Amino acid sequence: MILRGRWAANRIQQGNKMAEEPTPFERFVQGIVPENPVYRQLLGLCPVLAVTGDMKSAMTMAGAVLFVLFCANVIVSLIRNILKPHLRIVVFTLTIATFVTIVDRFLAAYMYNMSKALGPYIPLIIVNCIIICRCEVCGSKQNVFAAGADAIGQSLGFALALASIAAVREILGTGMFFGVRVLTENWPDWVIMALPPGAFFTFGLLLGAFNWVDSIRSKKDGTG
Amino acid sequence: MKQNYTVQAWLVLILAICYGGALAGMQMKLAPIIAENKINETRQKVPELVLGAENAATKLDIKPETISIDKGNKKISYTVFKAGKDGQTAGWVVKNADQGYAGKIELLIGLNPQTDTITGLFILEQTETPGLGNKIIDWEWRKQFINKKTDKPLVVVKTGAKEPHEIDGITGATISSRSVCNIINTATNDLKGPLGGKQDSTGK
Amino acid sequence: MSEKQDTDIKEKETVKAPALQAAVSPHLSNTSFTTRRMMIDVLIALVPVVGMAVYIFQWYAVKQLLICLVSCLAAEAIFIKMRGKAFTLTDCSAAITGIILGLSLPGPAPWYIGFIASFVAIGIGKVIYGGLGMNIFNPAMVGRAFVMIAFAGSMAASGYLDAQSTVDAITQATPLDLFKQAGTTTPLMALFVGTTNGSLGEISAIACLVGGLFLCLRRTASWEIPAGVLVAVAVLGGISDLVTPDSKWTVIHHIFGGALLFGAFYIATDPVTSPLAPIGKFIFGLGTGAIIMLLRIFSGYPEGVMFAVLFMNALTPLINHWTIPKPFGAVKEEAEA
Repeated sequence: MILRGRWAANRIQQGNKMAEEPTPFERFVQGIVPENPVYRQLLGLCPVLAVTGDMKSAMTMAGAVLFVLFCANVIVSLIRNILKPHLRIVVFTLTIATFVTIVDRFLAAYMYNMSKALGPYIPLIIVNCIIICRCEVCGSKQNVFAAGADAIGQSLGFALALASIAAVREILGTGMFFGVRVLTENWPDWVIMALPPGAFFTFGLLLGAFNWVDSIRSKKDGTG
Repeated sequence: MKQNYTVQAWLVLILAICYGGALAGMQMKLAPIIAENKINETRQKVPELVLGAENAATKLDIKPETISIDKGNKKISYTVFKAGKDGQTAGWVVKNADQGYAGKIELLIGLNPQTDTITGLFILEQTETPGLGNKIIDWEWRKQFINKKTDKPLVVVKTGAKEPHEIDGITGATISSRSVCNIINTATNDLKGPLGGKQDSTGK
Repeated sequence: MSEKQDTDIKEKETVKAPALQAAVSPHLSNTSFTTRRMMIDVLIALVPVVGMAVYIFQWYAVKQLLICLVSCLAAEAIFIKMRGKAFTLTDCSAAITGIILGLSLPGPAPWYIGFIASFVAIGIGKVIYGGLGMNIFNPAMVGRAFVMIAFAGSMAASGYLDAQSTVDAITQATPLDLFKQAGTTTPLMALFVGTTNGSLGEISAIACLVGGLFLCLRRTASWEIPAGVLVAVAVLGGISDLVTPDSKWTVIHHIFGGALLFGAFYIATDPVTSPLAPIGKFIFGLGTGAIIMLLRIFSGYPEGVMFAVLFMNALTPLINHWTIPKPFGAVKEEAEA
């Protein structure tokens, strides 16, 4: 009950803030933890589950998302004053698809093995809801600086989430971190962690832990 | 906010042209690199597969060929790379694929010029179970294929290979091990004739 | 204030109320029929199986069972404390999970397998759903499935073997593996008495039968479930006998070999994760038996009891929905009403 009340109060506060719109710095900070795209908004879960088997591919994915989100958000922000609302989805999709194609081809040309390992998940960034969500929420409403800061903040939040899951999965699943052995040679690999079920287990448990910490923190705030 | 639809149309049009231009430019620049990557993936392996790991850096003259074989009622084509060194045939690399335990397994098989001995094995693609079936990519397992003769089919055994045609199966992944052997057996069996003949005509 | 009352009531429900008994009318108000009594019955019924396992596998069995038992109790204590619930170790359910889990593992499996499986069984299999009575899947099988996939090397055919062992049974492959890979058939008598290799609890058909019949007679386990499993296996095994008459692995081998009897009597009969109505229980048993045969004959795995039980657990709510018993004297509703 107390929790819910606080949550609602937060929303209202944020609603008031919306009127005057967050500054670029606020946008940047919010994306990392308070409005983390994965743990808070539960967006873009497809790559979160699919490419977190090891740190290298997770970080490549995060980099690709950073590039696409930054470019898309900035361009949307630049044209926001001459864009009519009913055309916005078409233009968003067009913009995002262009940058995703660029990333995809770039990886295939210069990081061929990584591109093979990530397979269809790079082209699938097109339908990653984080990006269209940020274009809609921030890019189409605020100036270029806010949009850019927002893109970087959200991407860092996304990278953080991917890294947390990939670290657990790679260390337990293979005893390695970034392909470097961190546990002893006779560590029994938890093969299940490298398989899809491992992604679900890890994500579920980390999400639970995230909410648990959060509820403890807000309880402390309530009494203190 | 007084734009009419013409402005919108121009906006979309200009964006589309810009994006299209950017994509076309990028494609022109990157397409050859990507194509090169794809070929290199196979080519890079050829010296190692033919001459062994210690000579992996040797420059070889690699010529891709397609060899079709009539097998009863159907035709099968193999992609074969002929590796030449100083005008002589140094060996062959054969690409062959078939169903494994979890999905397709694609192999590169290195053969000596007479096609009677396996000189190398590389797994191009596989989706076997991590921790079990995917041990087929380990060098420790692959190396036992080197110097096996191709006159008899290879057989997977469980308890220590003793005979020259026996291969140690991977514990818990007999099906994957067997698939690899079968892929090699069909390829060597099908190609021994055609490639051996070629070697004679070009080598002399 | 109201929250506290809520949790008080909930606690009462989970601890005292026989949630497992909230079944078909008439509701017997037998106060002795508690969770604890049922669990103690199961413990008694497990005695012959445990005895056989210890006799055949000696210290392998003792070690594995102790690891699973202690880890399950520890896991239960830790997780219950984390959730701020009352202490529930005394209802023995965690002990049962531990022993059944231990009995379903191979003897030579390394210590961490039992340890991890126990924590997964109690944590992901039970507590995460809200504790005993709320779980969808059989906790012991959840734990086993986890380690089966995570440590396939130690849980597959080779995990059962230890050629250097002084214990005879462990130096040979399990009967199902022997048949699947080499086509060798194990004599029926060995399967029946249990002088073969296998998971600790599955080896002896006679021990499972004795314990299982005790459970059914005490009504702690519903006889419909094992009956359903056996009928399905007998029918499908009979068909496969007819289709391949020269196969030496007959329907009797199917019934006595592998974890079938152990699974039918001890695992599938878990009252939390099986249907409520008698007819539903029978359907559940039939489905489990059919999937076991499907996996044994057509899949890459030699045995299918674990996956069959987990799969049917998932179908249990649906079976319950189909088989809502008609209250006594109720009239069939008219279609147009």
